[in-house]
Amino acid sequence: MSEPKLLTAARHVVLLAFVAIALWPVLDVVSISLRPGDQLRTAEWRLIPRDWTLDSYRELFTSQPFLRWLGNSLLVAAGVTATGVALASIGGYAFSRFRFVGRQAMMLSILTTQMFPATMLLLPLYIMIAKLGLVNTFLGLGIFYVSTALPFCIWQMKGFYDTIPHSLEEAARIDGCTPWQSFRRVILPLAVPGLVITALFSFMTAWSEYIVAAQILQDRDLFTLPLGLKSFQSSMSTQWGLYAAASILVSVPVVVVFVLLSRYLVSGMTLGSVKE
Amino acid sequence: MRICRRNALTAQLLVVAALLTLGGCAERDSRRVINLWHQMRPEDRAVLAERIDVFERDHPGVSVRALYKETEELRSGLVSAVLADKGPEVIYGPSDVVGVYQAMGALADMSAWFTPVEEEAFDPRAVVRLPDRADPAREDLVFLGDRFGNHLALVYNRRLIPRPPATTAELVEMAKANTVDEDGDGQSDRYGLVWNYTEPFFVIPFLTGYGAWIFEDEAAAHGEGRREPQPTLDTPEAIAAYRFVAALRNEHQVLPRSADYETATALFRAGKAAMIIDGDWSWQNYLTTPGLDAAVALLPTVSETGLPMAPMVAPKGYSLTSFATGEQADEAMELILFLTGAETQHAFLARQRILPSRLALRDDPLVKDDPVMALSAAQAERGRAMPTTVAMRAVWDAMRPPYQLMMAGQLDAAEASARMQHDALARIETITGRTTPDGSAFVVYALAASALAVLLAFLRRHFRVFWSDWRRNRLAYALVLPSMVLIFLTVLYPLAYNVVLSFSNMSLTNLRDWEIIGLHNYTSIATGGESQVFWQILVKTLFWTAINVFFHVTIGVLLAVTLNGPVAGKSLYRVMLIIPWAVPAYITALTWRGMFDEQFGAVNQMIRGLSWVNRFLPEMLQLEPINWLGQATPAFAACIIANVWLGFPFMMVIALGGLQGIPAELYEAARIDRASRWQQFRMITLPMLKPVLVPAVTLGAVWTFNNLNVVWLVSNGGEPADQTHILVSYVYKAVFNLYQYGYGAALSMVLFFMLLTFSLVFLGRTRATEAVN
Repeated sequence: MSEPKLLTAARHVVLLAFVAIALWPVLDVVSISLRPGDQLRTAEWRLIPRDWTLDSYRELFTSQPFLRWLGNSLLVAAGVTATGVALASIGGYAFSRFRFVGRQAMMLSILTTQMFPATMLLLPLYIMIAKLGLVNTFLGLGIFYVSTALPFCIWQMKGFYDTIPHSLEEAARIDGCTPWQSFRRVILPLAVPGLVITALFSFMTAWSEYIVAAQILQDRDLFTLPLGLKSFQSSMSTQWGLYAAASILVSVPVVVVFVLLSRYLVSGMTLGSVKE
Repeated sequence: MRICRRNALTAQLLVVAALLTLGGCAERDSRRVINLWHQMRPEDRAVLAERIDVFERDHPGVSVRALYKETEELRSGLVSAVLADKGPEVIYGPSDVVGVYQAMGALADMSAWFTPVEEEAFDPRAVVRLPDRADPAREDLVFLGDRFGNHLALVYNRRLIPRPPATTAELVEMAKANTVDEDGDGQSDRYGLVWNYTEPFFVIPFLTGYGAWIFEDEAAAHGEGRREPQPTLDTPEAIAAYRFVAALRNEHQVLPRSADYETATALFRAGKAAMIIDGDWSWQNYLTTPGLDAAVALLPTVSETGLPMAPMVAPKGYSLTSFATGEQADEAMELILFLTGAETQHAFLARQRILPSRLALRDDPLVKDDPVMALSAAQAERGRAMPTTVAMRAVWDAMRPPYQLMMAGQLDAAEASARMQHDALARIETITGRTTPDGSAFVVYALAASALAVLLAFLRRHFRVFWSDWRRNRLAYALVLPSMVLIFLTVLYPLAYNVVLSFSNMSLTNLRDWEIIGLHNYTSIATGGESQVFWQILVKTLFWTAINVFFHVTIGVLLAVTLNGPVAGKSLYRVMLIIPWAVPAYITALTWRGMFDEQFGAVNQMIRGLSWVNRFLPEMLQLEPINWLGQATPAFAACIIANVWLGFPFMMVIALGGLQGIPAELYEAARIDRASRWQQFRMITLPMLKPVLVPAVTLGAVWTFNNLNVVWLVSNGGEPADQTHILVSYVYKAVFNLYQYGYGAALSMVLFFMLLTFSLVFLGRTRATEAVN
């Protein structure tokens, strides 16, 4: 496929402009992480400050349990992602393909769970978790994250399955597949781009959440990264260097996950598969 | 095709099992645990950790788990703890909140463990007693300070000011001499004086210097027959103080036009402010900044009154909580006595230059011979102790908005102080008042009963249909059930709790013994004193949501479509463009706040850099640096810009995924029909994206509507003067600051129903629950 040179150039212009906008504030974070003496703002902005230092990064790995927090976060996020993708891929499929009693009601009701401001639910949530004895466990946190991410993931997967023609399953069924098999063998592989988004979203939900984690995890050794990060912040004497350096490092795994996943973010389907 | 059912199911079961085992990862320790929630600054935490190690060595059966909690977290965490009856045994923080903690019933009386002889060793201002909750005639020992401080003093740049000012007249003179416009662009490049003027705490020394104080004397209050002293925010003395402060900015023009804590610090450190008013926690930092020759001085004496400017001083210290009982309380108390002991205080003094609360240590050479410590002690000696009453918080909250407006030049001193006093009285009444049940309580019970009856009738009628469908569609239910169970397990209880709470009078003083009072919370939303504000903010919130979602989707789809063509470096672009999503929002939101800073912000610097364009622009469109965060509309715009930036990558990823589902043949067919690119986009891309975008837009709108963080961080909690709130941040501030949990629950129910209506209408219009094909 070829297109006019002008159009290609336009694509680059748009992309470059937005890359600049996307990176601009982040470069500021980089600059803060290199500054000595915890300065959030300076009168003289430079990407690499004149007296730059890597002390903040060094301190993160030497005198702060950064790696431990990273491990905790990866554990929670991986668990949440796996569970979220598994449950959303099947749940979304059922909503897309089956007409069963209570389908609409269920779809709407899972949406409504997103409509309460999370800060308002914190109190009862903590009471519940404390009564269940799940304070200071990743299980309590994981369950909450999965159930926060699921409504969107299910709807997203449902929308994705909707774009896949029904005729594929009919063909599979004629070939002797059970409904489950036609889902697993025919539809699921075509829905990979949707799964990628679901995975990314579940991962991000678990990776960056802070408010609920602060209620459930009350032991510094169990902290996830956002909690560790926030512990550098205190009123009027924040350790900005550590805070910025940790923020930069926290985003690295996200980028890695995205790069790994985005290989699958390519067209999985052509009309060819239903032509015959 | 291969049989695959068993494999897939086992795999999914494994995943769930893996998640379940995560629960087992918490460490088990045979020692008894004492939880300590503290608010030590980062530099002090190392000393605390060492002292705890020593304590644990002496007490082998005890393990102390210290956890830093930021002010708000400690407060809300303690509320949750009281409700769940499970919380830390010891807390550490400044004394100004102990009144609140005592009122909510979180504290225990420590006097059984603390003898009068021991008490004599302490600065009397560091030992706090409050009336018992059950028996107000008795006094509980609720707070034991280990240090003294938080006091402000004057830090000055010795290169610019050889000798610190002794009076305010001198201060003004020196500040004027040091406010200079070096490049002659009409804007000062250096200022005489600066402080954080978003927080009223920093204006207290001016008030005391003019003979004002925020509360009336205890004796005066008792004389008038009042148990609690009333705020005195609009006395002639206070107005005189505010006049002086406002004149510094408007008349003498020796202050920058806007300054929060970070800007003030940065200005002084860069040598762009000759003097700064800042607290004892910051001095060491200034004294050690390379290239800066700073010194600390006592705050000057006010020339008109002859009174020294006196800062507020607050001890920080430990409290025993009501969660500690029996033997655990004994051990917790041992810990408190150890951490307030002479040895620990000496360690903090030696290592962190912290003013001890034990009087004997004030004569230590470390205090006497160190000029900064000696000055700190002298300044603290002049200071007035911060009140510990519940009303303190209401007073801060009432002072903040008018003070900010005054410092923005939008309100004069007399008006500002009148408004402070009025708001403070109203807030105190809200905090201490208690609504009693009215006739509508019956209505609530009736409603609940009829709702239950309707539900039961519905279930009975539909059970048979459901049952037959269950047998027909077993696979479908099996696929949906795990998700449904998980989602509703976590949400149902909090939701129900919230509904009940919204009819109740739960507040600070009756966290545990609240009762159903009827529809009062709802009626006061609709018609109460604050209702007008509520509707105004609602309009603003709708605007906020619409603009944000519009830009998220437009930019997201634009980028996705652009990326989806033949572009070199596609994967690199893609990664760069999700960066705003990848970096934690709590730091990037703060970065955006920095970028909108009037002085150093990148945005204004860009505007200045582009000023040559002005020659070609008409009068109306001239580019001028904007005081972004100091004015209501630009500050709100700044929040929107930051949030658009944060949100577009998500929509881009969604749209990218959606585009993969569109068969290329459709475009080929369109090209054969000679459809233009725009027509292809309209006729193929958009309709095919719809099923994927509709849920994203719906939820995106819901999330944006409920997005507390960005507004909170970019506008620093609604600044200037609570003018940049959206509903959630308003509810959060108005309700939780005043502990109106019942009212807050009702408000969140109202928000919930608004969002529900919106979603139903939007989803109904787009037929999102139905498949497109």
